[in-house]
Amino acid sequence: MATLRVSLSLWNLHAGSRGAGRVYFRARSRPRPGDLFQPLPGVCGAGTPCRGLCSESESGSPKIKKPTFMDEEVQSILIKMTGLDLLKIFKPAIQETKPPTYKLMTQAQLEEATRQAIEAAKVRLKMPPVLEERTPINDVLAEDKILEGTETAKYVFTDISYSIPHRERFIVVREPSGTLRKASWEERDRMIQIYFPKEGRRVLTPVIFREENLETMYSQDRHVDVLNLCVAQFEPDSADYIKIHHQTYEDIDKYGKYDLLRSTRHFGGMAWYFVNKKKIDGLLIDQIQRDLADDATSLVQLYHILHPDGQSAQEAKEQAAEGLQLIKVFAKTEAQKGAYIELTLQAYQEAFISSSAAS
Amino acid sequence: MVQLTIVLYKAYHQFSHLTIRLALGGCTKWPFYHIVASLNKCPKDGHFMEQLGSYHPVSNSYGKKLIALNLDQIWHCTGCGAHLSKPVEKFLGLSGYFPQHLTVVTNAERFSKTDTEATETRELTSVNIAVGIRLKSS
Repeated sequence: MATLRVSLSLWNLHAGSRGAGRVYFRARSRPRPGDLFQPLPGVCGAGTPCRGLCSESESGSPKIKKPTFMDEEVQSILIKMTGLDLLKIFKPAIQETKPPTYKLMTQAQLEEATRQAIEAAKVRLKMPPVLEERTPINDVLAEDKILEGTETAKYVFTDISYSIPHRERFIVVREPSGTLRKASWEERDRMIQIYFPKEGRRVLTPVIFREENLETMYSQDRHVDVLNLCVAQFEPDSADYIKIHHQTYEDIDKYGKYDLLRSTRHFGGMAWYFVNKKKIDGLLIDQIQRDLADDATSLVQLYHILHPDGQSAQEAKEQAAEGLQLIKVFAKTEAQKGAYIELTLQAYQEAFISSSAAS
Repeated sequence: MVQLTIVLYKAYHQFSHLTIRLALGGCTKWPFYHIVASLNKCPKDGHFMEQLGSYHPVSNSYGKKLIALNLDQIWHCTGCGAHLSKPVEKFLGLSGYFPQHLTVVTNAERFSKTDTEATETRELTSVNIAVGIRLKSS
Protein backbone atom coordinates (compact mmCIF):
# COMPACT_ATOMS: atom_id res chain seq x y z
CA MET A 1 0.00 0.00 0.00
CA ALA A 2 2.78 2.36 0.93
CA THR A 3 4.61 1.72 -2.32
CA LEU A 4 1.42 2.31 -4.30
CA ARG A 5 0.86 5.64 -2.57
CA VAL A 6 4.48 6.65 -3.07
CA SER A 7 4.41 5.78 -6.75
CA LEU A 8 1.06 7.54 -7.18
CA SER A 9 2.46 10.71 -5.64
CA LEU A 10 5.58 10.37 -7.79
CA TRP A 11 3.43 10.08 -10.87
CA ASN A 12 1.43 13.16 -9.86
CA LEU A 13 4.63 15.04 -9.28
CA HIS A 14 6.16 13.84 -12.50
CA ALA A 15 3.13 14.71 -14.59
CA GLY A 16 2.63 17.96 -12.73
CA SER A 17 6.27 18.95 -12.82
CA ARG A 18 6.65 17.96 -16.43
CA GLY A 19 3.68 20.07 -17.35
CA ALA A 20 4.83 22.85 -15.10
CA GLY A 21 8.36 22.52 -16.40
CA ARG A 22 7.22 22.86 -19.99
CA VAL A 23 4.97 25.78 -19.14
CA TYR A 24 7.76 27.37 -17.10
CA PHE A 25 10.34 27.29 -19.85
CA ARG A 26 7.99 28.35 -22.62
CA ALA A 27 6.14 31.01 -20.67
CA ARG A 28 9.39 32.83 -20.03
CA SER A 29 9.17 34.68 -23.34
CA ARG A 30 11.57 37.38 -24.30
CA PRO A 31 10.16 40.90 -23.95
CA ARG A 32 8.83 42.31 -27.22
CA PRO A 33 10.64 45.32 -28.71
CA GLY A 34 7.56 47.45 -28.12
CA ASP A 35 7.91 46.95 -24.36
CA LEU A 36 10.47 49.72 -24.15
CA PHE A 37 7.80 52.22 -25.11
CA GLN A 38 5.24 51.07 -22.57
CA PRO A 39 5.15 51.75 -18.86
CA LEU A 40 7.36 49.27 -17.05
CA PRO A 41 5.39 46.34 -15.64
CA GLY A 42 7.36 46.72 -12.43
CA VAL A 43 5.69 50.02 -11.63
CA CYS A 44 3.16 49.44 -8.84
CA GLY A 45 3.17 45.75 -9.56
CA ALA A 46 0.34 45.43 -12.04
CA GLY A 47 1.07 48.02 -14.72
CA THR A 48 -1.54 50.52 -13.50
CA PRO A 49 0.24 53.73 -12.49
CA CYS A 50 -2.36 54.73 -9.90
CA ARG A 51 -1.34 53.00 -6.67
CA GLY A 52 2.06 54.54 -6.08
CA LEU A 53 1.00 58.03 -7.15
CA CYS A 54 -1.82 58.45 -4.64
CA SER A 55 0.72 59.60 -2.07
CA GLU A 56 1.56 62.65 -4.17
CA SER A 57 -1.97 63.97 -4.14
CA GLU A 58 -2.24 63.77 -0.33
CA SER A 59 0.44 66.40 0.30
CA GLY A 60 -0.72 69.94 1.12
CA SER A 61 -4.09 70.83 2.67
CA PRO A 62 -6.76 68.13 2.58
CA LYS A 63 -9.29 70.38 0.79
CA ILE A 64 -7.18 71.28 -2.26
CA LYS A 65 -6.27 68.18 -4.27
CA LYS A 66 -2.86 68.77 -5.84
CA PRO A 67 -2.92 67.72 -9.52
CA THR A 68 -0.57 64.84 -10.39
CA PHE A 69 1.21 64.01 -13.62
CA MET A 70 -1.36 61.33 -14.45
CA ASP A 71 -4.52 63.49 -14.21
CA GLU A 72 -6.58 63.42 -17.41
CA GLU A 73 -6.68 67.19 -17.70
CA VAL A 74 -2.90 67.50 -17.29
CA GLN A 75 -2.24 64.63 -19.68
CA SER A 76 -4.52 66.09 -22.38
CA ILE A 77 -2.71 69.46 -22.18
CA LEU A 78 0.70 67.80 -22.34
CA ILE A 79 -0.26 65.55 -25.27
CA LYS A 80 -1.57 68.57 -27.18
CA MET A 81 1.70 70.45 -26.57
CA THR A 82 3.86 67.49 -27.63
CA GLY A 83 2.64 67.74 -31.18
CA LEU A 84 2.45 64.96 -33.77
CA ASP A 85 5.22 65.44 -36.33
CA LEU A 86 5.06 62.08 -38.12
CA LEU A 87 8.27 62.62 -40.04
CA LYS A 88 10.20 63.11 -36.80
CA ILE A 89 8.52 60.29 -34.87
CA PHE A 90 9.13 57.71 -37.59
CA LYS A 91 12.60 58.98 -38.36
CA PRO A 92 14.67 56.13 -39.82
CA ALA A 93 16.44 54.37 -36.98
CA ILE A 94 19.69 52.46 -37.41
CA GLN A 95 18.69 48.98 -38.57
CA GLU A 96 19.54 46.37 -41.18
CA THR A 97 19.78 47.89 -44.62
CA LYS A 98 17.24 46.67 -47.12
CA PRO A 99 16.07 48.23 -50.37
CA PRO A 100 13.16 50.67 -49.88
CA THR A 101 9.61 49.61 -50.80
CA TYR A 102 7.40 51.88 -52.91
CA LYS A 103 3.62 51.61 -52.89
CA LEU A 104 1.17 53.11 -55.37
CA MET A 105 -1.91 54.29 -53.47
CA THR A 106 -5.14 56.08 -54.17
CA GLN A 107 -6.07 59.12 -52.10
CA ALA A 108 -8.34 57.02 -49.86
CA GLN A 109 -5.61 54.46 -49.26
CA LEU A 110 -3.14 57.22 -48.45
CA GLU A 111 -5.55 58.67 -45.90
CA GLU A 112 -6.05 55.23 -44.39
CA ALA A 113 -2.27 54.73 -44.17
CA THR A 114 -1.85 58.16 -42.54
CA ARG A 115 -4.58 57.34 -40.02
CA GLN A 116 -2.84 54.07 -39.11
CA ALA A 117 0.48 55.92 -38.84
CA ILE A 118 -1.12 58.42 -36.44
CA GLU A 119 -2.40 55.55 -34.26
CA ALA A 120 1.07 53.99 -34.18
CA ALA A 121 2.60 57.40 -33.43
CA LYS A 122 0.25 57.88 -30.45
CA VAL A 123 1.44 54.56 -29.02
CA ARG A 124 5.05 55.67 -29.43
CA LEU A 125 4.33 58.99 -27.75
CA LYS A 126 3.06 57.41 -24.52
CA MET A 127 4.83 59.29 -21.74
CA PRO A 128 7.08 57.49 -19.24
CA PRO A 129 5.79 57.96 -15.67
CA VAL A 130 6.98 60.76 -13.41
CA LEU A 131 7.25 59.47 -9.82
CA GLU A 132 8.74 60.66 -6.57
CA GLU A 133 12.11 59.33 -5.47
CA ARG A 134 11.84 55.98 -3.66
CA THR A 135 12.65 55.74 0.04
CA PRO A 136 15.67 53.50 0.80
CA ILE A 137 15.04 50.07 2.34
CA ASN A 138 16.56 49.50 5.76
CA ASP A 139 14.65 46.44 6.94
CA VAL A 140 16.43 43.89 9.11
CA LEU A 141 14.55 40.59 9.20
CA ALA A 142 16.64 38.64 11.72
CA GLU A 143 19.84 38.88 13.73
CA ASP A 144 21.46 35.52 14.37
CA LYS A 145 24.50 36.20 16.51
CA ILE A 146 25.31 32.47 16.44
CA LEU A 147 26.26 32.56 12.75
CA GLU A 148 28.80 35.32 13.27
CA GLY A 149 32.15 34.44 11.73
CA THR A 150 31.14 31.14 10.12
CA GLU A 151 31.02 32.60 6.61
CA THR A 152 33.33 35.05 4.90
CA ALA A 153 31.08 36.41 2.14
CA LYS A 154 27.57 37.79 1.90
CA TYR A 155 24.85 35.55 0.51
CA VAL A 156 22.14 37.12 -1.65
CA PHE A 157 18.96 35.04 -1.88
CA THR A 158 16.56 35.86 -4.71
CA ASP A 159 13.12 34.34 -5.08
CA ILE A 160 12.75 33.51 -8.77
CA SER A 161 9.10 32.41 -8.71
CA TYR A 162 7.63 33.49 -11.99
CA SER A 163 4.21 34.61 -10.79
CA ILE A 164 5.35 37.35 -8.42
CA PRO A 165 5.60 40.96 -9.66
CA HIS A 166 9.12 42.33 -9.41
CA ARG A 167 8.24 44.89 -6.74
CA GLU A 168 7.03 42.21 -4.32
CA ARG A 169 9.90 39.78 -4.82
CA PHE A 170 11.89 38.63 -1.77
CA ILE A 171 15.56 39.54 -2.17
CA VAL A 172 17.41 39.15 1.12
CA VAL A 173 21.07 39.37 2.05
CA ARG A 174 22.72 37.30 4.82
CA GLU A 175 25.75 39.19 6.11
CA PRO A 176 28.84 37.44 7.58
CA SER A 177 27.81 38.95 10.93
CA GLY A 178 24.64 36.86 10.86
CA THR A 179 22.10 39.62 10.12
CA LEU A 180 19.43 38.86 7.56
CA ARG A 181 18.39 42.10 5.85
CA LYS A 182 16.33 43.06 2.83
CA ALA A 183 18.40 44.06 -0.19
CA SER A 184 18.66 47.75 -1.09
CA TRP A 185 17.02 49.14 -4.23
CA GLU A 186 20.23 49.05 -6.31
CA GLU A 187 20.89 45.43 -5.30
CA ARG A 188 17.27 44.54 -6.12
CA ASP A 189 17.50 46.08 -9.59
CA ARG A 190 20.76 44.24 -10.29
CA MET A 191 19.41 40.85 -9.15
CA ILE A 192 16.20 41.23 -11.11
CA GLN A 193 18.17 42.14 -14.22
CA ILE A 194 20.42 39.06 -13.74
CA TYR A 195 17.56 36.58 -13.37
CA PHE A 196 14.90 38.29 -15.48
CA PRO A 197 16.89 40.17 -18.08
CA LYS A 198 15.10 43.04 -19.76
CA GLU A 199 15.98 44.16 -23.27
CA GLY A 200 18.08 47.29 -23.37
CA ARG A 201 18.98 47.15 -19.69
CA ARG A 202 22.42 46.23 -18.34
CA VAL A 203 23.34 44.80 -14.96
CA LEU A 204 26.02 47.39 -14.18
CA THR A 205 25.34 51.07 -14.93
CA PRO A 206 26.68 51.93 -18.42
CA VAL A 207 29.61 54.33 -18.71
CA ILE A 208 27.52 56.80 -20.74
CA PHE A 209 25.77 58.04 -17.61
CA ARG A 210 28.94 59.54 -16.15
CA GLU A 211 29.17 63.34 -16.01
CA GLU A 212 31.80 63.86 -18.72
CA ASN A 213 30.07 61.52 -21.19
CA LEU A 214 26.70 63.18 -20.58
CA GLU A 215 28.30 66.56 -21.35
CA THR A 216 29.55 65.18 -24.68
CA MET A 217 26.06 63.91 -25.51
CA TYR A 218 24.51 67.28 -24.69
CA SER A 219 27.02 69.10 -26.87
CA GLN A 220 26.06 66.82 -29.75
CA ASP A 221 22.35 67.65 -29.21
CA ARG A 222 21.51 64.02 -28.39
CA HIS A 223 19.24 64.67 -25.43
CA VAL A 224 16.57 62.31 -26.80
CA ASP A 225 19.05 59.42 -26.92
CA VAL A 226 20.17 60.14 -23.35
CA LEU A 227 16.57 60.12 -22.11
CA ASN A 228 15.69 56.94 -24.01
CA LEU A 229 18.72 55.12 -22.58
CA CYS A 230 17.81 56.40 -19.12
CA VAL A 231 14.24 55.09 -19.41
CA ALA A 232 15.55 51.70 -20.56
CA GLN A 233 18.20 51.39 -17.83
CA PHE A 234 16.67 52.74 -14.61
CA GLU A 235 13.39 52.36 -12.75
CA PRO A 236 11.19 55.50 -12.90
CA ASP A 237 11.42 56.18 -9.18
CA SER A 238 15.15 55.58 -8.76
CA ALA A 239 17.42 58.47 -7.79
CA ASP A 240 19.60 58.09 -10.91
CA TYR A 241 16.62 58.30 -13.29
CA ILE A 242 15.28 61.49 -11.68
CA LYS A 243 18.72 63.09 -11.46
CA ILE A 244 19.59 62.44 -15.12
CA HIS A 245 16.19 63.65 -16.31
CA HIS A 246 16.49 66.88 -14.29
CA GLN A 247 20.03 67.41 -15.59
CA THR A 248 18.88 66.98 -19.20
CA TYR A 249 15.97 69.38 -18.76
CA GLU A 250 18.25 72.01 -17.15
CA ASP A 251 20.68 71.73 -20.06
CA ILE A 252 17.85 72.15 -22.57
CA ASP A 253 16.60 75.19 -20.68
CA LYS A 254 20.08 76.73 -20.59
CA TYR A 255 20.55 76.57 -24.35
CA GLY A 256 16.91 76.88 -25.39
CA LYS A 257 16.86 73.58 -27.30
CA TYR A 258 13.20 72.83 -26.60
CA ASP A 259 12.51 71.76 -30.16
CA LEU A 260 14.70 68.66 -29.75
CA LEU A 261 12.09 67.06 -27.50
CA ARG A 262 8.98 68.18 -29.40
CA SER A 263 7.08 65.17 -30.89
CA THR A 264 8.94 62.78 -28.58
CA ARG A 265 7.50 61.11 -25.51
CA HIS A 266 9.72 63.15 -23.18
CA PHE A 267 8.14 66.53 -23.93
CA GLY A 268 5.38 66.05 -21.37
CA GLY A 269 7.85 65.24 -18.61
CA MET A 270 9.94 68.29 -19.49
CA ALA A 271 6.91 70.62 -19.46
CA TRP A 272 5.80 69.14 -16.11
CA TYR A 273 9.27 69.72 -14.62
CA PHE A 274 9.39 73.35 -15.76
CA VAL A 275 5.87 74.11 -14.53
CA ASN A 276 6.71 72.64 -11.12
CA LYS A 277 9.92 74.68 -10.91
CA LYS A 278 8.15 77.82 -12.23
CA LYS A 279 10.64 78.20 -15.07
CA ILE A 280 8.35 78.22 -18.11
CA ASP A 281 9.63 81.51 -19.60
CA GLY A 282 12.11 79.99 -22.05
CA LEU A 283 9.58 77.41 -23.23
CA LEU A 284 6.89 80.10 -23.69
CA ILE A 285 9.23 82.29 -25.78
CA ASP A 286 10.23 79.33 -27.93
CA GLN A 287 6.59 78.39 -28.55
CA ILE A 288 5.55 81.95 -29.50
CA GLN A 289 8.55 82.29 -31.84
CA ARG A 290 7.49 79.10 -33.64
CA ASP A 291 3.92 80.41 -34.03
CA LEU A 292 2.45 77.90 -31.53
CA ALA A 293 0.22 80.35 -29.67
CA ASP A 294 -2.29 77.66 -28.64
CA ASP A 295 0.46 75.62 -27.01
CA ALA A 296 1.66 78.72 -25.17
CA THR A 297 -1.83 79.42 -23.80
CA SER A 298 -2.28 75.80 -22.71
CA LEU A 299 1.11 75.94 -20.95
CA VAL A 300 0.00 79.01 -18.98
CA GLN A 301 -3.30 77.23 -18.20
CA LEU A 302 -1.36 74.25 -16.86
CA TYR A 303 0.70 76.62 -14.74
CA HIS A 304 -2.49 78.08 -13.28
CA ILE A 305 -3.86 74.60 -12.55
CA LEU A 306 -0.72 73.68 -10.63
CA HIS A 307 -0.23 76.99 -8.79
CA PRO A 308 -3.75 78.35 -8.22
CA ASP A 309 -2.60 80.47 -5.28
CA GLY A 310 -0.19 82.51 -7.38
CA GLN A 311 -0.62 86.10 -8.48
CA SER A 312 -1.09 85.41 -12.17
CA ALA A 313 -3.75 82.76 -11.59
CA GLN A 314 -5.87 85.05 -9.46
CA GLU A 315 -5.51 88.02 -11.83
CA ALA A 316 -6.45 85.83 -14.77
CA LYS A 317 -9.57 84.69 -12.93
CA GLU A 318 -10.54 88.32 -12.19
CA GLN A 319 -10.06 89.44 -15.76
CA ALA A 320 -11.45 86.17 -17.21
CA ALA A 321 -8.56 86.34 -19.67
CA GLU A 322 -8.33 84.03 -22.69
CA GLY A 323 -5.79 83.27 -25.38
CA LEU A 324 -2.95 85.77 -25.77
CA GLN A 325 -4.41 87.85 -22.93
CA LEU A 326 -3.54 85.00 -20.52
CA ILE A 327 0.09 85.08 -21.61
CA LYS A 328 0.19 88.88 -21.16
CA VAL A 329 -1.23 88.57 -17.62
CA PHE A 330 1.36 85.92 -16.79
CA ALA A 331 4.19 87.99 -18.31
CA LYS A 332 3.20 91.01 -16.21
CA THR A 333 2.86 89.19 -12.89
CA GLU A 334 4.98 86.10 -12.29
CA ALA A 335 7.44 85.75 -15.17
CA GLN A 336 11.18 86.35 -14.76
CA LYS A 337 11.67 87.43 -18.36
CA GLY A 338 8.35 89.28 -18.57
CA ALA A 339 9.59 92.04 -20.88
CA TYR A 340 11.07 89.52 -23.32
CA ILE A 341 7.80 87.60 -23.47
CA GLU A 342 5.84 90.77 -24.19
CA LEU A 343 8.28 91.72 -26.96
CA THR A 344 7.97 88.35 -28.66
CA LEU A 345 4.17 88.49 -28.31
CA GLN A 346 4.14 91.91 -29.98
CA ALA A 347 6.34 90.66 -32.83
CA TYR A 348 4.07 87.60 -33.26
CA GLN A 349 0.93 89.77 -33.37
CA GLU A 350 2.48 92.15 -35.91
CA ALA A 351 3.57 89.24 -38.11
CA PHE A 352 0.08 87.71 -37.80
CA ILE A 353 -1.62 90.97 -38.80
CA SER A 354 0.72 91.59 -41.73
CA SER A 355 0.33 88.04 -43.03
CA SER A 356 -3.48 88.19 -42.73
CA ALA A 357 -3.46 91.59 -44.45
CA ALA A 358 -1.28 90.29 -47.27
CA SER A 359 -3.42 87.15 -47.89
CA MET B 1 -7.66 1.70 -23.51
CA VAL B 2 -5.14 1.06 -20.76
CA GLN B 3 -2.42 3.70 -20.41
CA LEU B 4 0.69 1.54 -20.25
CA THR B 5 3.29 4.29 -19.84
CA ILE B 6 2.04 5.24 -16.40
CA VAL B 7 2.01 1.62 -15.22
CA LEU B 8 5.49 1.02 -16.57
CA TYR B 9 6.75 4.23 -15.02
CA LYS B 10 5.36 3.31 -11.62
CA ALA B 11 6.86 -0.17 -11.86
CA TYR B 12 10.27 1.17 -12.85
CA HIS B 13 10.52 4.08 -10.43
CA GLN B 14 8.91 2.60 -7.35
CA PHE B 15 12.13 2.65 -5.32
CA SER B 16 13.39 6.10 -6.18
CA HIS B 17 12.12 9.42 -4.91
CA LEU B 18 12.43 12.99 -6.02
CA THR B 19 15.32 14.96 -4.54
CA ILE B 20 16.19 18.62 -4.68
CA ARG B 21 19.96 18.91 -4.79
CA LEU B 22 22.89 20.79 -6.28
CA ALA B 23 24.10 19.71 -9.73
CA LEU B 24 27.66 20.78 -10.50
CA GLY B 25 28.45 22.54 -13.74
CA GLY B 26 30.94 25.11 -14.99
CA CYS B 27 34.65 24.74 -15.78
CA THR B 28 37.87 23.91 -13.99
CA LYS B 29 38.40 26.23 -11.01
CA TRP B 30 34.97 27.79 -11.71
CA PRO B 31 32.16 25.74 -10.13
CA PHE B 32 28.52 26.64 -10.65
CA TYR B 33 25.66 24.71 -9.12
CA HIS B 34 22.11 24.40 -10.43
CA ILE B 35 19.51 23.66 -7.77
CA VAL B 36 17.64 20.86 -9.44
CA ALA B 37 14.72 18.50 -8.75
CA SER B 38 15.67 15.04 -10.03
CA LEU B 39 15.09 11.40 -9.19
CA ASN B 40 17.29 9.91 -6.53
CA LYS B 41 18.89 7.25 -8.73
CA CYS B 42 19.82 9.59 -11.59
CA PRO B 43 23.42 10.77 -11.81
CA LYS B 44 23.78 13.92 -9.78
CA ASP B 45 24.74 16.11 -12.74
CA GLY B 46 22.60 14.29 -15.26
CA HIS B 47 18.96 14.18 -16.23
CA PHE B 48 16.66 16.28 -14.04
CA MET B 49 12.97 17.05 -13.87
CA GLU B 50 13.08 20.74 -13.21
CA GLN B 51 15.55 23.50 -12.42
CA LEU B 52 14.67 25.33 -9.24
CA GLY B 53 17.50 27.80 -8.90
CA SER B 54 21.22 28.30 -8.93
CA TYR B 55 24.15 28.78 -6.57
CA HIS B 56 27.49 30.33 -7.44
CA PRO B 57 30.10 29.63 -4.77
CA VAL B 58 32.51 32.27 -6.11
CA SER B 59 31.84 35.80 -4.84
CA ASN B 60 31.21 38.44 -7.50
CA SER B 61 32.75 41.91 -7.87
CA TYR B 62 30.58 43.17 -4.97
CA GLY B 63 31.81 40.37 -2.69
CA LYS B 64 28.48 38.51 -2.73
CA LYS B 65 27.53 34.92 -3.52
CA LEU B 66 24.32 34.71 -5.49
CA ILE B 67 21.70 32.07 -4.76
CA ALA B 68 18.43 31.92 -6.64
CA LEU B 69 15.54 29.84 -5.27
CA ASN B 70 12.27 29.28 -7.09
CA LEU B 71 10.31 29.14 -3.84
CA ASP B 72 6.97 28.52 -5.57
CA GLN B 73 8.23 25.37 -7.24
CA ILE B 74 10.22 24.20 -4.18
CA TRP B 75 7.01 24.56 -2.18
CA HIS B 76 5.17 22.49 -4.80
CA CYS B 77 7.86 19.80 -5.06
CA THR B 78 8.20 19.41 -1.30
CA GLY B 79 4.45 19.17 -1.11
CA CYS B 80 4.55 16.33 -3.62
CA GLY B 81 7.11 14.48 -1.49
CA ALA B 82 10.54 15.58 -2.62
CA HIS B 83 13.49 15.17 -0.30
CA LEU B 84 16.01 17.94 0.17
CA SER B 85 19.77 17.48 0.24
CA LYS B 86 21.81 19.01 3.06
CA PRO B 87 23.22 22.02 1.16
CA VAL B 88 19.73 22.93 -0.07
CA GLU B 89 18.37 22.73 3.47
CA LYS B 90 21.25 24.93 4.64
CA PHE B 91 20.42 27.53 2.00
CA LEU B 92 16.76 27.55 2.88
CA GLY B 93 17.74 28.04 6.50
CA LEU B 94 20.19 30.83 5.75
CA SER B 95 17.63 32.63 3.58
CA GLY B 96 15.13 32.67 6.41
CA TYR B 97 12.57 30.52 4.61
CA PHE B 98 13.14 27.57 7.00
CA PRO B 99 14.60 27.44 10.49
CA GLN B 100 18.38 27.06 10.60
CA HIS B 101 19.75 23.61 9.88
CA LEU B 102 21.13 21.65 12.85
CA THR B 103 24.60 21.22 11.36
CA VAL B 104 24.86 24.96 10.76
CA VAL B 105 24.05 25.66 14.38
CA THR B 106 26.41 23.00 15.73
CA ASN B 107 29.24 24.12 13.48
CA ALA B 108 28.68 27.70 14.50
CA GLU B 109 28.75 26.74 18.15
CA ARG B 110 31.95 24.76 17.72
CA PHE B 111 33.44 27.69 15.80
CA SER B 112 32.67 30.18 18.51
CA LYS B 113 34.21 27.84 21.16
CA THR B 114 32.40 29.33 24.07
CA ASP B 115 31.45 27.41 27.25
CA THR B 116 28.03 25.82 27.67
CA GLU B 117 26.50 28.67 29.71
CA ALA B 118 27.06 31.26 26.99
CA THR B 119 25.63 28.97 24.27
CA GLU B 120 22.49 28.32 26.29
CA THR B 121 21.74 32.02 26.68
CA ARG B 122 22.09 32.75 22.96
CA GLU B 123 18.81 32.42 21.12
CA LEU B 124 17.87 31.76 17.58
CA THR B 125 15.96 34.76 16.32
CA SER B 126 15.33 33.93 12.66
CA VAL B 127 11.62 33.66 11.84
CA ASN B 128 9.82 32.10 8.89
CA ILE B 129 8.87 35.49 7.55
CA ALA B 130 8.41 34.39 3.95
CA VAL B 131 6.33 31.39 4.98
CA GLY B 132 4.23 33.52 7.31
CA ILE B 133 3.38 36.04 4.63
CA ARG B 134 2.53 33.31 2.14
CA LEU B 135 0.23 31.61 4.63
CA LYS B 136 -1.50 34.93 5.32
CA SER B 137 -1.98 35.72 1.66
CA SER B 138 -3.14 32.23 0.61
